[in-house]
Parts: sequence; C-alpha cells; structure tokens
Amino acid sequence: MIDSSSIKQLAGHPFDRRDFLKVLGWSGAAVALSGCGNTSIENGKETVVSYVEAADYVIPGVAVYYNSTCAQCDAGCNINGRVREGRVLKLEGNAASAINRGKMCGLGQAGVQHHYNPDRVREPLLRKGDKGETISWDKAYALIAEKLNGVSGEQVAFLSGAVSGHLKVLLGNYLESLGSKNLYVYEAVAPAVQRAANKKAYGTEMPRFNINKAKVVLSFGADFLGSWVSPVHFSQQYAQFRKGVDGQRGVLVQVESKMTLTGANADRWLVVRPGTEGILALGIINALGASGVTLSGDVAAAVQGYDKARVSNDTGVSVEHLDKLVALLKERTPSLVLAGSAAEGYAHGSQNAAAINLLNQVLGNVGKTIEASASVPFPQMIPAKGNTAALKTLNDDLAAGKYKVLFTYATNPVFTAPGSMKFKANLAKAGFKVAFAHYLDETALEADLVLPLDSALEDWGTQVPEYMAEGAQINIQQPLMEKLHANTQGMGDILLTLVKQREADKYKDFADYYGYLRGSLLTIKGALGSGGTDDDTFWDETLTSGIIKLAGSAEQLSGNASAAGLQLPAAAAADAQYSFHLIPSVTAYLRDGRHTNQPWLQESPDPLTTIVWDSWVEIHPKKAAELGIVEGDVLEVSSRTGSIRAQAYLFPGIHPDAISIPLGRGHEALGRYAKGYGVNPFQILDAVFDQETGELALHETRVKISKVGQRIIVVKDEGAAGGKPEQRRIALSKSTDQVKLSEEV
Amino acid sequence: MHRFLRLSFMLMGLLVASGSYAADTQKPTLTTEDDLGPQVTQPIEFPHYRHAGLKNPDDPTNSDPSKGGMEIDCQYCHTYARRSAVAGIPPLQKCIGCHQNIESVRNKPRIVELFKYWDAKKAIPWKKVHDLPDFVRFNHERHIKRFVEQQNRPTQEACGYCHGDVKSMTVARRSKSLAMGWCASCHEKNHPVTAEGGTPIGNQAYWYKFQKPVVASSDGVVKAQGPNDCWHCHK
Amino acid sequence: MSVSNLLENWSQFRHFHPVDDKPHDPYKWAMSIDIDACSGCNACSVACYAENNIPVVGKERFQHGQQMHWMRIERYWPDHDFDFPEQGAEFLPMMCQQCEAAPCETVCPVGATNHTADGLNSQIYNRCIGSRYCSANCPFKVRYFNWYDYPTDETVWPAEMNRQLNPDVSVRGKGVMEKCTFCVQRLRAAEVTAKGEGRIVREGEVQTACQQACPTSAISFGNLVDPESRVHKQWQAQQVEMNVDEQEKDKEPGGSHLRGYRILEELRPYPSVMYLERVRESAI
Repeated sequence: MIDSSSIKQLAGHPFDRRDFLKVLGWSGAAVALSGCGNTSIENGKETVVSYVEAADYVIPGVAVYYNSTCAQCDAGCNINGRVREGRVLKLEGNAASAINRGKMCGLGQAGVQHHYNPDRVREPLLRKGDKGETISWDKAYALIAEKLNGVSGEQVAFLSGAVSGHLKVLLGNYLESLGSKNLYVYEAVAPAVQRAANKKAYGTEMPRFNINKAKVVLSFGADFLGSWVSPVHFSQQYAQFRKGVDGQRGVLVQVESKMTLTGANADRWLVVRPGTEGILALGIINALGASGVTLSGDVAAAVQGYDKARVSNDTGVSVEHLDKLVALLKERTPSLVLAGSAAEGYAHGSQNAAAINLLNQVLGNVGKTIEASASVPFPQMIPAKGNTAALKTLNDDLAAGKYKVLFTYATNPVFTAPGSMKFKANLAKAGFKVAFAHYLDETALEADLVLPLDSALEDWGTQVPEYMAEGAQINIQQPLMEKLHANTQGMGDILLTLVKQREADKYKDFADYYGYLRGSLLTIKGALGSGGTDDDTFWDETLTSGIIKLAGSAEQLSGNASAAGLQLPAAAAADAQYSFHLIPSVTAYLRDGRHTNQPWLQESPDPLTTIVWDSWVEIHPKKAAELGIVEGDVLEVSSRTGSIRAQAYLFPGIHPDAISIPLGRGHEALGRYAKGYGVNPFQILDAVFDQETGELALHETRVKISKVGQRIIVVKDEGAAGGKPEQRRIALSKSTDQVKLSEEV
Repeated sequence: MHRFLRLSFMLMGLLVASGSYAADTQKPTLTTEDDLGPQVTQPIEFPHYRHAGLKNPDDPTNSDPSKGGMEIDCQYCHTYARRSAVAGIPPLQKCIGCHQNIESVRNKPRIVELFKYWDAKKAIPWKKVHDLPDFVRFNHERHIKRFVEQQNRPTQEACGYCHGDVKSMTVARRSKSLAMGWCASCHEKNHPVTAEGGTPIGNQAYWYKFQKPVVASSDGVVKAQGPNDCWHCHK
Repeated sequence: MSVSNLLENWSQFRHFHPVDDKPHDPYKWAMSIDIDACSGCNACSVACYAENNIPVVGKERFQHGQQMHWMRIERYWPDHDFDFPEQGAEFLPMMCQQCEAAPCETVCPVGATNHTADGLNSQIYNRCIGSRYCSANCPFKVRYFNWYDYPTDETVWPAEMNRQLNPDVSVRGKGVMEKCTFCVQRLRAAEVTAKGEGRIVREGEVQTACQQACPTSAISFGNLVDPESRVHKQWQAQQVEMNVDEQEKDKEPGGSHLRGYRILEELRPYPSVMYLERVRESAI
C-alpha cells in the first residue's frame, strides 16, 4: 500500500502529482498485430516517456491502488482504484467496506467510462444563440456575480441531485450567503415514499434491513438485487441468506406486477394486479390472524373484510398461494417484509407501504430483521435526500416566473421530469440558468452557462451514504489520477469560489476545496475517534483507508404498530380507453439515465430480456397473442400525456394488464453512446402524485398500445430458442427437499 | 460416424496442402547469433561507457575517475528491472540526484541539456531501443531474480545476455535479435535449477520444455527449460 | 504446432489432461459457480470488459452476433409451458470452460490454441490466422472473433477511452479469435511471484476479475490440485471428477442430493468449470 509521506505529497500538492504520474508509454496496451515476425518492432521509433520525479512506490508495470468512493449511485460503495503509470484502469471494491466488502456492481465499475468519456464537457460554455462559446473560468465567475447582483434570495434557486458530506455543507453555506432557501434536491428514482412510510412505522427513514438474518423474505416489488437502495450490500446479504440460518436456506417470495431482477431470483414469484400490493399485505395479515397470530384491536379492525376470497379476487394471487405463504411466514421466523418502488408508485403508494410495513410489525420482525441504523453525528453532512416532490414545487415556481437565477447540478430534469410537467418550457422562464455538468445533457443544453466538472475519479470529496450497513461511516473520495482535462473544476472548488464571492473573509483560509475538506475533517478529528493522533497521521490514515468508520449510536426503533389511518382504495377499475398500466422499470445499470453514455452499460444485456442498446415494450405473450403482436413489432404506446414508439418483446414475467418500458434510454443529448438509442418513458408519464408525500406516482400512468405496422429485429443476447434449454442439461434446478446444503463446503 | 471421419481427413489433407506456410514455420529458427540493431539517436547522447564502463580498461588498478568509466551497477539506475516485468527508464530525478553534486561536468553540453529538462520539469523523450512486439511480454524481474539474486551472477553479465555489452556503448544499441527463436535458443540450453538458489516447485520437470519431457541428466539435476507454454509470453 | 506436427502427434494432442506422465503439478486452475447464489446481475461481465480490454461493438454489430462478451449471463426459462415464470428465471454465467480435452485445440490448423501446463486452454493471438474452426467446434460457443479492427475503430476506443486499457492484456486486432483466459495475466503474475519466493500460489492470492466483482460471491476460483483450495474442496464435496464423462453420483437411482455438475460433460470435453445447481424452495 501507500506510505504516508507519499500520500502527503499527493495530497498536499496536487500539481506535483502531474510530474510523477506522467505516462510511461503503454505499448503493452497497443495493438497486437496478428501473424508472426517482427512486424511491430520499430527500434528507435517509439518514445518511452519516463517520469521526471517518481515516488518510491511508483514502479512502471506495477499497479498502485487508491481507496476512494463510487459516485455512480448514492449507495456509497467504497472502491479501490487500480492505477498504472498514472492512469486509472479499473475500479474494484474496497474489502474493508461494510457496504460492499470488496464487491462491485457493473454500474460502479463503469465509473472509469464516465471519467474517460469522450463526450465530457471540457470548457466553460456561454450561450450565444444556439451555440455555446468557450469562455474562461474567470469570466464565468464574474458573469455569475453580475447576474446575482441585485437579485434577492427568493429569486435564486439551486436544483441538485442527492448531495451529502462537505459538498452539502458548502452548498448550504452558499445559498445562505445568497439569502436563498430554495434548495431543491431532486432524484427521479428515489425511495421517497418508503422513507416516509418507514418513519411512520419504525421511527426512522432508513432502518437497517437484515436480509441475511431472515428465514423468509417477502418483497413487494423491492428490487434489492438490482437497483433498490444499496444493491451490492443486499446482494451479499442475499448470498448469506441463501446459504441459510442454521442450515435452512432462506426463502424469497417476490410480489410484483413486472418481474425485476430480484423477482427472477425468487423461490416464488407472485404476479399481482398493479397497485393491489397493499390489499395483499392486509389479506396476509388477516389470514395470519385467522391462523392464530395475535393481532391488536385496530389492526384486526383494519384488516377486517380482507378475506382470502376477496383478496385473491382483487390481487389475482390464488388462495392456494396465499395459504402457503401465510403458513411459511408463520412457521419460519424471523422473516422480513420489504416494500419497494413497485408497490409505492401509486396515488395510494404511501398506504400500500404502510400496509406492507404493518406486516413486519405483525410478524414481529421489527428489532430482529429490521434494526435501527446508526447515523453520522454531524447533521449538516447527512445526505440531502432527493425526491420528485421537490421538482414539482420548483416546476410550479418556474412556471410562475419566480426565478432570475437557477443553478442545476447532478440531475437532468429536462430528461427525467414527467412529460405532463412541461418542465422544459417552464425552465425557459428562469432568467439565467447555470448548469454544472459532466456532459452536455438535455438540461445543460437549455442552460445559459455550462460549467464543466471534474469526474469523480479526479476530484476530492466526502460522502455520507443514506443506507448505513454497519455502524456509521463517512466515505472519502480522492483523485485516482491527474485531471484529464485542464479546464474542468471540482464542484467543491466551484462552490468555494462562489461562496468566496459573497463572504471572502470567512473562507480566506481555504485555498481550495481540498484545503477546506482537510481543515474541516481535522477540526472534528476528536469526534471521529482520532483525537489522540496528530493531524498528519490522521489525514494519511483517512486517505489510505478511504473510509472513516464511526461507532454506531445505539438508536432505538420507535415504530407505530397500529393501523390507524390505513385506508386502501379498492383495486383500480379498468380504464376502457387506456387499458394498460404502464410500468416504467428501473434497471440496475441505467436507472434514471444519467449514465447511459457509458458503453459498457449500453452493451450489458438486460438480465431478463437480454436486450442491448435499445428500449423495448414488455408485454405478456398471451396478451400479445390476443392482440396479434409478435416480437419486434413496433408499438405506439400512448398515454394521456404523450406517446412513444418502441419494439415489442414478449415477456412472461408481467401482468397481462400491464406493459413495461425501461427507463434510462431515449436521450436526445448526453453523448454519442446515448443519443438516439431507445425511447424515454418519462415523457409520457401523467402527473399523478402520491396523496400523502406528494411524490410522483411512477406507476399510475395508463396507456393504450397499437401496432404501427413495422417490425424490426430485436437486438438481444438470447438465442433463437428464446431462452429455453430444449431438454439439454444446462441450467439445472433442484428443490430444497432434494439437497443437503448443510453438508456443502 | 465413419463418413464424418473421412470427410474430416479430406479436409485435413486440404489443409496440409494450403497450410504449407504454417507447416514451414512450425518452429522459430533457433539462433544465438548476434544481430545488431540500428543506431538510435537519443535526445541526449547518454554515455553508458562513462557510467558503467571499467574504471580504466587498460589498467584495472588505475582508478582515475577522469579516465575510463565508473563501474556503476546497472541496477543503480535501472532499479525498476528487478521489481517489475518492465524495466522502464530511470526518472530524470535519478540523473539529477548525482549530477547536481558534480560541479566538474556541470557545463558540459549534455549535462546542460539535462538540466534544461529538469528546470522545465519536462520528461526526456527517450527513444525505445529494445522494442518487442506488443504481444510479447518479457519479465525482467524473473530473470534478474534467477541470475543475479539466486545464482549470484554479475549484473552486467546477466543483463548482457539480452542487452549486450552496454558498458562499452554510448547510447545503447540493440545487439541481440530478441526474436522468439533467439529467446528459445537460450531456454533450450540446460539450466540447472535445483542447484543452489534454485526454486523447484512440485514435479515440474516435464513442463519446463516446449514439447517433450527431458530425461533427467546423469547427475540427477533436473533441467529447467524456460517457459513451457505460449501463454507465458503471449497473452 | 503445424498441421504435420498435429497429424504426427494426434493422439497426444487429443489426450485429455492430466494423464500419468503429465500430471497437473503444481497447478490446475479451475472454477466452480453456484448458480443458486448467482443473481444474474452482470457485474462479472462488466468486470471482464474492464480487465480484458474487450471491445464494445455497438448495436449493429451486436445484432449481427458479433458481440465479444467473454463472460456472458445466459437467461433460461423453464422448458415446460407456463403462464408466468413462478420460480423466476435461471441465470447461468457462461465463459470458456478451459476444457481438459478441448475440442477447439485439435482443429486449429496453426496450433494457436493449446493446452498449458497449469490446465488452461490458451489462445495465442499472434499465432491465430482466423480460420474460426475452433469456434465452430466449441460446444459452449464461448469463442469470439474479431470481425473488425476494433483498436483503430473510433467508436470503440475513442481518444481518451483507450487510456483505460489494461497494459497487461494484448488488444486484439482484426482477424483473430479470443475468449476467456481465466485472467491468465493475473495467474502468471501470481505464479511468477510465488516462484521467486520458492512456493506455490496460495489459496486466495489470485482472483479472476469476475470472481472479484461478483456481489454474491457465486464464483470460486483456485488451484484444483491444492487440497487447501476452496475449489478443490467443493469439487471433492460434490463428487465431481475431472476425467470422467459421467459422474458416479449421477448413476445413483433417483439422482444425487449433490448439486455439482458440468455442462455438456457427455461430449467429453472435460470442462474445468463445475456448476452448482440452482435450488428452489419446495414448501412454497
């Protein structure tokens, strides 16, 4: 690993780093010419660039590893970057991390393609008509100061993706210096309804879920192996869960209308009528009560009437399966019930989540498989959690022409706002729009000033994960290599410069964001449990490990086990005109589409359909047969808001009354690997919101479909057999009564 | 089944006819011949003979540093070679480390040039002299471990197997062919590995041969014969 | 190895390994994959792209079947008719099985693919002439051909993207075959280090990229002849023998309670990858 003096060198003088990170020539990675002979030997022609100065541990041909934090999603996995001759080559997991324990998902690994992406913005750009004109940073900063001059705090807004750590602190300070309270934290795909429901049920927004301690996991659309909350962490828990507690293999039952990656791994996948997840949960409680589980008075009252026949009729889950599930839950404890986005994306999403959480209370899982999580004792660093309600407020304000200056960072609302909001049109009403961006994405294209950001692999930062795995932790993000482009800046440095425009005196001690970060962490050194160590040692150790682990404060769960206020609507009636439920699916790698320009992700087949590089419409084969649709038929999918066209894919894992289109594709900008591939279902989403939290109800859009008379070849990885093994012994299965897992290695 | 076999033999015959090129080049030509590479012009004409050469070639007892070389060990500057598969080029800092204290040559043209690079913090664009095809991966570390560390051979001799008599050169010039047959010629010589410093592992004898097992020689010493499959160097 | 050489030594090349006069010693690299743990998430595949300089071919070439994923996840549905896949999908990570009697090796006209001492099926790019016989003869279809000169293709590795390339792995030009190598560059580095220290590679010292990334640790990899290795223990516990085409345990009436199996074993390629069957709960 790295010795401390060299870290100091690295850390203290970022510009020294340039010298010894000079590339040494990388002939090894050049083309291997086919054929024999000395065809590629060119004595005396190729240049080998040596280092000017090199730290002792820098040896050509030997990789150096730096710890940092993954920035591809908010889970906060700790990464270990492999660096050779000054170039970061590969991101691997940091084995010391409680979150990912040395493991990585594909999305995280593609972080290098974000860093080396050819479509990154490299210069500050100022709008001149339809074009962007390169300007200097000095001019850009002066322009911002000029535009803010004489503008009141109410007329300034900042739209950001989820932020935490010192960046959040600086952002808050900057807005305060402007006298503005208008920070909108927007994430298009966020567990916002769940946070509210958890707060009610358990007293905390994001408790710790111990999948590995559960004998049965009943998940209502929580795709914890794919995109839900902290998938790499849950994947490891899942592996332990499968190995079993006391040799008994964990059982996963997934309830949803469209099969997710997690659903595809379930022992029993139960398809439900869209939106009836809560009804099923109450039906299970009712049946548990009938089978002898004690229910409190108000719970018993709440579930009264949810008898098996009615529940089966409403949800489409057979009485037989219901009985088996109830028996299993009763017999094998503890269990764990999870509510995911599929259950929450309705106007009654909060009610669905409440009903599902109530099931945990009834089964006595709270305190066993659901535990209090620890939090970082610095409230100002705790993540500003994104949701869609924030966007709605901003959108209304923009429509009213309230803002003279608008900043956007780490979010792309022009792409992700539901079409019904008409966000793009409203955005035009803001006076001066500044986008801090990595790419010229749809939102940056609407901006008046675009400021290019450093990638996460060349920038400093701290990050506090929303979901804490074990104890609490602060993640350190540090540069893995020299900046790729001379004229990009780190978001922290930009905010520091901006805040200095307002309050130069307060920040005069900090030359740059690195200095600010180091200074701030040193002042809380004692609280971080390193009071006794000297500053340099503390700092070196922090950078070496990349994680500051804190003892978890022993919080108590204080949940509400009552069913007060629980009121579920009846199963939604059929819509004669728009007969299908649209399920915009969140895939593990593309999510809300911000990383679509990373070609590894475009070419990584969707696990369930194996489709690459394009969007598709999932429709149940029986329904398709009814409508005369075959694979590759281009379908027009129309909602009350708009319509899009995509190829049909016949998919058995979906409710016949629903169709599903994945999110993330359909960019009109962003870059060469994203633009023009697929369609964007955000565009046709209706403006329906969860009644309690005001969150966008992602699954409430109803659509109709029609063939447009064109058929294309679906580009996918599965063979002609459509994924049937055709009697060959390829992927084999056994049932639990046929195996003896406890005897295995 | 029978018919299938016949068909495949016919195909084979076809291949023998059309594949004669492959048949001819079945084995690289084994050669130990020296093969002088082109003269390479470097940004600074680095005098290897001055650094690594004998102190006084004519009179080994004369140690006047103004004549002859300084007998600096190859590994003093080329430190990476023993620690990595690739040898790399010493960092500029290494040159300066000594030369900032050698006032006597400070104004010589090459040294002035050297300091120009240093002052500008610019890397010297050295030209590659020993260039292997990009699909060939030679491991310096392994060879130095074996010859220098385990068998205690002089560094200059060990490096010289492939790099020639660099101590007599100004800028280095390739003097061995470095083609596969040339590598193999050395690896097919019998190098005793169970002698002192050797590292026999398992029952490797067979695999240390390109094709067939070697019979252990009469003195009972197992002969190692270098890499045993293509994937050692080509991957 | 030329054609004449091949014909002369046919029986030797067709030999499966190990045999008595050529024992696997000290290494035989092998794998075991628990498809009950595999969630099908594709992290292994992306790790493989990152480690092994695999080109992203783009939509059109993918449509032509020219994708290069050395490590792919195959998704299967049950063979029988069903309305809904009530027991989920079946995911199977598939890559070169490093067969001990590899069908690809015997058909290469130029000996560009052959067996190594440590039990790998090597692919030598500079030797390959692109006949594609190996791919035609591979029952697992895990060999990938370079139809284009990807290194010079601006859509594949444009200016900055090529800086991510791993210098330890050759970037393949047009006209050569490639496939999973069990991350041979990592194996060789570990073997050389161990050799310098006069020992063999220890269990856990070397990981393949897919194994390292796998979020559910479904992939085990190691030295099959090392009794300390997890892979050795797993193969032993599952009673899977390398050099047979039908396992003893599978002959038991009613089937075995052991999950280990090798794919297409009956074709006698003697694969080095053992899979552990998926399990589904019988009580639900």
